[in-house]
Amino acid sequence: MKRVLPHPTREERPTLWRSLDEFAGTPEFEAALEREFPQGAAEWHGGQISRRNFLQLMGGSMALAGIGLTGCRRPEAYLVPFTQGVEWTIPGKFLYYATSQPRRNGAMPLVATTSDGRPTKLEGNPLHPISNGSTDAFAQASVLDLYDPNRSRAILAEGKQSDAAALAAKLDEIRAVAEANGGEGLAFLVERVDSPTRDRLLAQLRQEYPNLLWAEYEPLGSSEYDAAVAACFGTGVEVTPDFSAADKVLAVDSDFLNASFSGLDQVRSFSARRRISEPGQPMNRLYVAETHYTPTGGMADHRLRIKPSEAGLLLRALGQQIASLTGDGGLSSVVNAFPEGQLSADPQWIDECAKDLAASRGKSIVVVGQQQPAAVQALGFAINNALGAPGQTLRGARTERAQASSIAELAAAMEAGRVKNLFIVGGNPVYNAPADLRFGDLLSGVPVSVRLGMYEDETSAASKWHVPQAHYLESWSDARSSDGTICAVQPMILPLWGGVNELEILNRLAGNAEPIGPQLVRDTFAKVADGGDLEAKWTEFLRQGFLGGTAWPEAAPAFNAGGATSLAAAYRPAPSNGIEFSFTPSSTLDDGRYANNGWLQETPDFATKVTWDNAALVSPATAKSLGLSTGDMVEMSANGRKIEAAALVAPGHADDAVSIALGYGRVNISHVTDNVGFDAYPLRTTQCMAFATEAAVKRTGAAHKFAETQHHQNMEGRDLVREATTERYAQDPTFARTMGMDGHIPPNISLFTHPKLDSPQQWGMTVDLSTCTGCNACVVACQAENNVPIVGKDQVSRGRNMAWIRMDRYFAGDESDPEMLPQAIMCQHCENAPCETVCPVNATVHSEDGLNLMAYNRCIGTRYCANNCPWKVRRFNFFDYNQRPLDKLYFGPLAKKGMAESVQMSKNPNVTVRMRGVMEKCTYCIQRIEEAKITQSVQAGPTDKSKVPFPEVKSACQQACPSESIVFGNINDPKSRVARLKKEPRNYEMLKYLNVSPRTTYLARIKNPNMAMPGADKVGWANGHPHHGGQATHGAGSNGNNGHDAHGAETHGSPAAHAKEAPSH
Amino acid sequence: MPDAIMQSSEAAAQRITRAPLVTNNRSMAWITNHVASVTEKKAPVWWWVLFAISSALAVCSVLCIGYLISTGVGVWGLNHPVGWAWDITNFVFWIGIGHAGTLISAILFLTRQKWRTSINRAAEAMTLFAVVCAGIFPLIHVGRIWMVWFLAPVPNSNAIWQNFRSPLLWDVFAVSIYFTVSILFWYTGLVPDLATLRDRATTKVRKFIYGIAALGWRGGNRQWRHYEMAYLILAGLSTPLVLSVHSVVSFDFATSVIPGWHTTIFPPYFVAGAIFGGFAMVLTIMLPARAIFGLHDLITDDHVDKMCKIIVLTGSIVGYAYAMEFFIAWYSGNPYERFVFVHNRLAAPFMSWFSWVPGIGPQMAALGANPAPYWWAYWSMIFCNVVAPQLFWSRYFRRHAIWVFIICNFVNAGMWFERFVIIVTSLHRDFLPSSWGMFHPTWVDIWTFTGTFGIFLTLFLVFIRWLPMICIFEVKAVLPEADPHHGHEGHDEPHREPAALKGAAH
Repeated sequence: MKRVLPHPTREERPTLWRSLDEFAGTPEFEAALEREFPQGAAEWHGGQISRRNFLQLMGGSMALAGIGLTGCRRPEAYLVPFTQGVEWTIPGKFLYYATSQPRRNGAMPLVATTSDGRPTKLEGNPLHPISNGSTDAFAQASVLDLYDPNRSRAILAEGKQSDAAALAAKLDEIRAVAEANGGEGLAFLVERVDSPTRDRLLAQLRQEYPNLLWAEYEPLGSSEYDAAVAACFGTGVEVTPDFSAADKVLAVDSDFLNASFSGLDQVRSFSARRRISEPGQPMNRLYVAETHYTPTGGMADHRLRIKPSEAGLLLRALGQQIASLTGDGGLSSVVNAFPEGQLSADPQWIDECAKDLAASRGKSIVVVGQQQPAAVQALGFAINNALGAPGQTLRGARTERAQASSIAELAAAMEAGRVKNLFIVGGNPVYNAPADLRFGDLLSGVPVSVRLGMYEDETSAASKWHVPQAHYLESWSDARSSDGTICAVQPMILPLWGGVNELEILNRLAGNAEPIGPQLVRDTFAKVADGGDLEAKWTEFLRQGFLGGTAWPEAAPAFNAGGATSLAAAYRPAPSNGIEFSFTPSSTLDDGRYANNGWLQETPDFATKVTWDNAALVSPATAKSLGLSTGDMVEMSANGRKIEAAALVAPGHADDAVSIALGYGRVNISHVTDNVGFDAYPLRTTQCMAFATEAAVKRTGAAHKFAETQHHQNMEGRDLVREATTERYAQDPTFARTMGMDGHIPPNISLFTHPKLDSPQQWGMTVDLSTCTGCNACVVACQAENNVPIVGKDQVSRGRNMAWIRMDRYFAGDESDPEMLPQAIMCQHCENAPCETVCPVNATVHSEDGLNLMAYNRCIGTRYCANNCPWKVRRFNFFDYNQRPLDKLYFGPLAKKGMAESVQMSKNPNVTVRMRGVMEKCTYCIQRIEEAKITQSVQAGPTDKSKVPFPEVKSACQQACPSESIVFGNINDPKSRVARLKKEPRNYEMLKYLNVSPRTTYLARIKNPNMAMPGADKVGWANGHPHHGGQATHGAGSNGNNGHDAHGAETHGSPAAHAKEAPSH
Repeated sequence: MPDAIMQSSEAAAQRITRAPLVTNNRSMAWITNHVASVTEKKAPVWWWVLFAISSALAVCSVLCIGYLISTGVGVWGLNHPVGWAWDITNFVFWIGIGHAGTLISAILFLTRQKWRTSINRAAEAMTLFAVVCAGIFPLIHVGRIWMVWFLAPVPNSNAIWQNFRSPLLWDVFAVSIYFTVSILFWYTGLVPDLATLRDRATTKVRKFIYGIAALGWRGGNRQWRHYEMAYLILAGLSTPLVLSVHSVVSFDFATSVIPGWHTTIFPPYFVAGAIFGGFAMVLTIMLPARAIFGLHDLITDDHVDKMCKIIVLTGSIVGYAYAMEFFIAWYSGNPYERFVFVHNRLAAPFMSWFSWVPGIGPQMAALGANPAPYWWAYWSMIFCNVVAPQLFWSRYFRRHAIWVFIICNFVNAGMWFERFVIIVTSLHRDFLPSSWGMFHPTWVDIWTFTGTFGIFLTLFLVFIRWLPMICIFEVKAVLPEADPHHGHEGHDEPHREPAALKGAAH
């Protein structure tokens, strides 16, 4: 590919010469001239990328970048090193390209930040209707997967290294056979991606080879949901909840407030109805029935703990009530068809919930977890229909999706020996297929199996061929987002390790011309975007990242009671006696696909705060009855299979149930993944993917050590997360500012003279605790933006994790059924910062725009600042986490030094990578602020800078937040959102008595309880009831200023309150 | 009548006569011989044994420090809530020990407490060695030791200066001034005795080295006059340092916002604690030395008795401070402060034994059920620092060398626990319960600290081997025969006949 530009030949001996060799014109000198660099200088020792290679990659991505910008460049040209400036690039300036991450539940629209051809950060695409610029933790972390040094790099045939030519020959051979027999014996197992191009190629393949078998498998997929939708609303229809219209929401075993499992738009529309700026404003109400604490459960106004199999029974009981309240015949027939069972839930809870939902007919909705059996989903749809949800809170759309078989059908074909050539594209079915299919055994019986995967994993080992898969940031593709809009998937960089895109394989099998990435997508695009100037449309598509107007057409969902009834009637739940297992998505590894991602491994779970592990979660009561405590190893058996896992006592978990996250317990993959957590897939069967009944748990006697980032779950009566009910907020709007000590602290004076805060921009932040679900998107976004290192399980267990945002989580109330309160804590940028006064060398100082700065170069590492930080947000580099292997930190200079080259490429060039011995912390993304300052200065030129508007700055955490809970900006500008939020009565400073004037403030959490519900008097009182008033009457006329209720804080500090400490520490 | 008065006065005089500072009527020559010969004779076997052990320990410390510097502060058990633990505990512990030496040599000198003469040399040496041990920790506890020169006011191109608001910087100046003044004071006091050793030297090498060290001391009148002036000035300089250094060290904590640190009582409390711990350490070192070298005539039971009295006094001040901290935590009404004292320190499992007590029973039961994670450290401190020294109210314990040694070791341990309690129990659970944690020392923590005892003892052993451990000329000055007013009335020197009585009888 590389064009060699020869030096001009000389006719005669030079008159000026650099060496005798040149004068003599020796061949060595000629060679040296050609070489450009001395012998060996161009090679990058020890790695698989040579420096030359790296420059090629950069150049290559620049060439591709051209397409992204103008669409009129050749897709691939001669790749030249960066010896001359490349068009559009300004060294040190980022380039942004729109792309998207294909997901099983719709593509996530993204904007990739690239620097010198390296994508380093992903943001949501603000132009896309579902995104609004936000992302989730998985999208944020996926950029690290691109640079993962453990990714597979070579084509393997029978475990031996092979090459592209051999693979091409094999593909041609398979194609020849398929052409002969119409695709008999040809099978595909793919992941669920709504890619128009893949669908187009599939259609072509199906036309050419009508007998092929195309199966789709997602371990956490929505096959049950799809079946229920098909039965209740017909095929080719999709229904999605619309929370913007919902006043009352009941979520049954559904974590819809986790954007990774639902969608960014759902979180955003729910949060919009949750955010009330003034007392008395209406807000939505959320009922949740679930097994283990999810972010959704944490947001609930009323939460019911149920065993996973009880979801259907709960809906049945609820449906009965709603049917009698609404007189809906369809619902009654579905309810009556649904098998009865033993439900332990409080009937009053169900009755009152039903009444409340029915009272808001057309403005209420029930959402059911997509993994629950189809009959349960159908029951949910029937209730929604009775509640008048269709067309109101339940939106319908007509979809066109390629039909696919299930993995069970594929397994049956494999077992029958009907599969001769199997392509496994992505996924890892040997690891995560339902255990009863014995997929691994079946796979080894397939004569030719070609596996396309990012890692050489379990499935690769069982396949005949392994082909490295290109990361989505390395490939051309397209994908539909959850609303159906077609999004572009553009490469930011050439495949680092020769990865292949699935489309290229399908294209070759279809017998088309040599795959040319963009052309494949463009051919599809030409069909979709009919009419007009195709070139201009294509350019716009790539620039904008999606093609407007391609969303699925709206269609009011028409509920088919008959279909739902027959589905419910056919439901035969397995008997449940005693313990049940719930299989949950991992909050950090999804179904295990992110297992090699250190950022996600080190992100604590929302509820348990465990890193580098999953756990068998049990409620305190069940733990007591089983004699378990946190860290005990247990044997979990169900469906005739057993696994071992470590138990963790989880407050708020349903009794007589064990939840375990999927995606852990891998072996022989890489040092990041191996021996992390426990593999729960062996317990899961096709019978029910969400849970297992008839299960048993037994203590083995062994012990396991968890690495938790939070050991104490109780607020100890301190008003850290402040909470009130809507009623109290209406009666006492300033409750958040007068709570506890804040009601009667005298005005403070400072001994120090403080730096002048005289810059036109004064930075500040608010975190809205009413909408923050604790989803971790900000945590990972911060890690990606600020080059925050990971430290490994051992270091986390020693309390040395480095994350700049800590997602604190407290439990309040009853130990068995507590309230969960998440709170994001980052540097509060105190105006009177306690850290600044104690640093002996002035390494942490204040800027005139109100930032608490950290000068790494100046820091000598006394850690005094961290000790004196009331929020404990300062993080110290106890070791050279960036330079030493995490398993050899204690070897010091005896360990290999240096970061993997590809990981170096992933770093944000605008942020210093910190060495050992220095302190670091949240900077409010100062690099973004500085960039905005520079932009303003450049725009102003020689004129007055203040005449030019200051560009909008978003911190990385703010940008990622799907619920818009984090707001950052200029508090000096009264029109800015942050300034307006700071004026809200809910706004409060933590630890106000310290007089440190933090720039980060919190908006108190408002709960909207239904007072008729059981336990409603406890909702919204995480800080305890005020002293006077005697009983649990809320906001008992307190004006909050008399300082009387403030004594509440003292009673909570009492030993009795202390004794209520949650057990899992 | 007069006879009777005479007799009873005589009896009274017998009782009130001061005990001699040097017992057994030792002569000046005996003192010189006895003290100087320690440095002149061959080192006894026990010295070599002790030297081998202590220098091996010192090497442990050096190796641990090498590991720490090469690998990272993470080799210690520090973590995110607990940014300081054994490092600063050890620093404050050692710097506190130094205070007794300065107190004895400077304050007791200015207040003309002549009994100090036989112990001040060794106590001052101990000060220096303790400060050496103390200085190691703040130096090595930083993350980037190669950048510690940032602490020095060196003009640089970035125009970054030190932060004079930081108590840590005050520490740097306070400790380095303290070390400098202490070493000058000690050396000045050594000069006449170095001259004695030079004059007694039998080999050329000794003569040369001691000759250089003695700075040409000839014992002339002018020299003595200059010496006395210099010594007085240095004593005057050292005296405020006794108070200032530990006050400044206490500012590291007192000026912070952390509950349990943010306490105005810290400066006097730290100074009292330092003197308390320092005297205990002086006795811990001195009692074995006295036994080994047979110095009972110079370091008499009276000396030990007086020091024990100071220990019980300062120990009670420290105990009062502990109580006052609790009172203020309660009186301030600050729940964070209260929590630290009650739930991070005081609450102990044995409190549930008192659940029957009317009134406070339920509270005691609750405290007993949720003990502070470091309750054992707090109660060790209370036992060692407040309870154990109370035995010194009894003359029997003050004059019984074994008991004194045992109690002083309790105090040594207690004072280490005090610093550990202040530093770690305040940090490990402060404002936000989400960030609470625990500190667990690693083997590197343990051996670095243990090794500093090796450094301390090694230096002390070298000191007693090569330098006169008792100030020869000052001790001779307190002998009766050195008193030019011998036999004159109105003088409070000890006499073989009751001079005071004569004055009283007139």
